[in-house]
Amino acid sequence: MSASEPLISIVEDDESLRLAVVGLVRSLGYRTLAYGSAEDFLAAEEARTSNCVVTDIQMPGISGIELKQKLVADGVAMPVIMVTARTEPAVHERAMASGAFCLLRKPFTADALIACLDRALAA
Amino acid sequence: MDGGAQGDLFDLVHDSVFVRGLDGAILSWNAASADLYGWPREAALGRNAHELLGAGHEQSVAELEARLLADGRWEGELARQAANGSVLVVEARWSLRRGPDGAPAAILESGRDITARRAAEAALRRSEYRYRNLFQAMAASFWELDFSPVGGMLRELRKAGVADFGVHLAANPELTREMMRQTRVIDVNEQSVALFGERADLLNASVEPFWPEASTAVFGASVAAAASRAPSYASETRLKRLDGSEFDALFTACFPPEAVGKGTLLIGVIDISERVQAQARLQRLQTEFAHAARVSMLGELTASIAHEVNQPLAAIATNGSAGLRWLARPEPDLDEVKALTGRIVADAQRAADIIARVRGMAMRHEPEMSSLDLNDVVVEALAFLRHELQGLGVETEAVLSASLPAVRADRTLLQQVLVNLLVNAAQAMGGMEGGRKIAVRTSHDARGVEVTVRDTGPGVAPEDRGRLFDSFFSTKASGMGMGLAICRSILETHGGAISAIDPPDAAGGACFVFNLPAAEDVAHTKV
Repeated sequence: MSASEPLISIVEDDESLRLAVVGLVRSLGYRTLAYGSAEDFLAAEEARTSNCVVTDIQMPGISGIELKQKLVADGVAMPVIMVTARTEPAVHERAMASGAFCLLRKPFTADALIACLDRALAA
Repeated sequence: MDGGAQGDLFDLVHDSVFVRGLDGAILSWNAASADLYGWPREAALGRNAHELLGAGHEQSVAELEARLLADGRWEGELARQAANGSVLVVEARWSLRRGPDGAPAAILESGRDITARRAAEAALRRSEYRYRNLFQAMAASFWELDFSPVGGMLRELRKAGVADFGVHLAANPELTREMMRQTRVIDVNEQSVALFGERADLLNASVEPFWPEASTAVFGASVAAAASRAPSYASETRLKRLDGSEFDALFTACFPPEAVGKGTLLIGVIDISERVQAQARLQRLQTEFAHAARVSMLGELTASIAHEVNQPLAAIATNGSAGLRWLARPEPDLDEVKALTGRIVADAQRAADIIARVRGMAMRHEPEMSSLDLNDVVVEALAFLRHELQGLGVETEAVLSASLPAVRADRTLLQQVLVNLLVNAAQAMGGMEGGRKIAVRTSHDARGVEVTVRDTGPGVAPEDRGRLFDSFFSTKASGMGMGLAICRSILETHGGAISAIDPPDAAGGACFVFNLPAAEDVAHTKV
C-alpha cells in the first residue's frame, strides 16, 4: 500500500462498526483514518487530505450532517458518504440536502459501500 | 357447771369452740370464739347462739338439730355473723353431749373460719369460668396441650450435653416428630373443631397428625422457645386437618410459667389461608402489571432496540465482506481474515447479549430474588438505553460507589425501575435546547443502598409531587401513568421505597431517589 492510494476517513462512534468499515476499506486497498467522533475528525490535520469520508449520522455531539455542513463552510469539497440506522424520511431528506454524496442505511451491504466509494473517488 | 374449767382447756385450741344448751343458750365460749365472732365471753354466755350468730344454711336449724339428735353429730358450712356485722363462712362440727342418764344435754360446736378460702375458691371459679368462656368464645382455634413428656425429653437432652435445643431439633426432625407424638391434646375449643375436625377425634390425640412434614421445623422452634423460657412463640406455617388437607396458619404458643410448671401449654391457631391467597393473588397481579408496563415500554423503545441490534449486524456483514475480499486476493491475507473473524464472533456475541436483555424485559416471570450489585443494574440499564438516550441528545453520567453492599432483588424488576426513571428523565428534557443531562449516583448508608437519578429538565411541580406515584397520574400527554406507580410497587415488594426529592443543590431538574435494604439486613429480618 503506497501513499498514492486514496485516503478514506471513517467517522463512527460505534467501535466495532468503525473497525469493520476500516477493515472493509483496507481490503479494497485504500489507506484509512478512523475517528470516534466528528469533533475528532474535524480537529485532525491529516484528515483534511482525505479523498473521501464515510460518516455515521447519529453520533453524540456533532452529527454526520453537521460535519458535512462544517466542511462546506470551510470550503472543503471532499465527498461525504453518510450512514444511518434511522429510517425516518426527514433524516434522509436532511442528509441529502446537506450535500451527502450518498446515503447508506444500516445494515448496508459491502457492495453498496464499495459502489459509493468507487463513484466518490472517480468524481 | 364445768364451763369454766372447759373454757380454760378450750382456750388453748385454735378453733372456735362453744357449748350451747338444747334451748340454744350459750353455756361456754372459748377465747378463739371471742376472736372469731368478736363477742367477749361475758357478752356471749347465756345468749341464744343462733340469734347471736345466725345460722345460714339451706336447711333450718331445727332440721339440722334433728339430724344431730338422730346421728349424734353433724358437720357442714354455716354462714355466721360476727359482732361487727360481717358474714363469716364457718366450717362447723356439732356433737351431742348426753347427761348421766344418756339423754341429750348440750351441743358442742367447733368452728373454723373458711371465709378467705371460700372467697379464693370463688374467685378461682370465676377466673376459670372466664378463661373457659374466652377459650370457647375466641375466634381463634385454641388448644390446651399436655406437654409434660416433652419436658422430660428436654431434661434428658440437657443431661446428654445438648446446649442449644433450637440447633439440635432443627438437625433432628425425627426427634421433633417424636415430641409431637408425646404431646397430647387436653382440650380444644369450638373453633378448633370447626377448623380441624370432630372434637372426639381431636381430644387425647397426639398433635403429630396436625403437623405436615414440611412444618416440623416450626414445632421444633416453638419447643426450643419454650425451653429457653421465652414468654411466647409465633410463626406462620402450614397445618393439617384431620381429613389430611393442609392450610396456612398463624401458630402461636404461650408459655406462662404456671402452665409450664404444670406441663401444659396453650396454643392458638388462626386460619390465614385467605390472607395468604389474597397476597399471592396481589403478587401475581403486580407481576402482571409490571410485565405489561415493561412490554409497553419496549414498544416505545422499538426503534432504539432495532438500532442496537442493527449495529453489530452491520459490523458482522461488513467484516464478513472484508474477509472475503482478503481471501479473494491472489495471495490471501490470512492474518487479516483471522482478525476480522475474531471481530465477527465478538459482534455476534454483542447482538446476542442485546437480544437476551430485551427478551429478559419482555418475558413474564415470577420475581426471582438473587444477590445483586446495584452498580451492575445501573450499568445495564444505561447500556439498554444507550441508543435511545443518544438519539434524544441526552448525556449521561454515572457515579458509582465502589463499596456498595449487595441487595436481594429481582434483576429484571430493578432494571425496569431504572429504565423507567431514565426514560422519564430523558422525555422530560425533550423540549429543551441542549444541556440535557442525566446523572445516576449510587451510595449506601446504615439504612441500605440508595440510587439517585437526576436530570436537568424542568423538574417536578410541587403540587404534583404527592400524586406522582399514584396510578394513572401522568404529566405526559401520552402517558399511561403506570410507570412510577409500578416503580413504587416494585420497590415496596423489595422492602424499599422511592420518592421525588429536591435536587441537592438549587440547580433545578427532577431528582428521584430509591433505596433498598442491604442483603445482610434482609437476611436478619427473615430470621
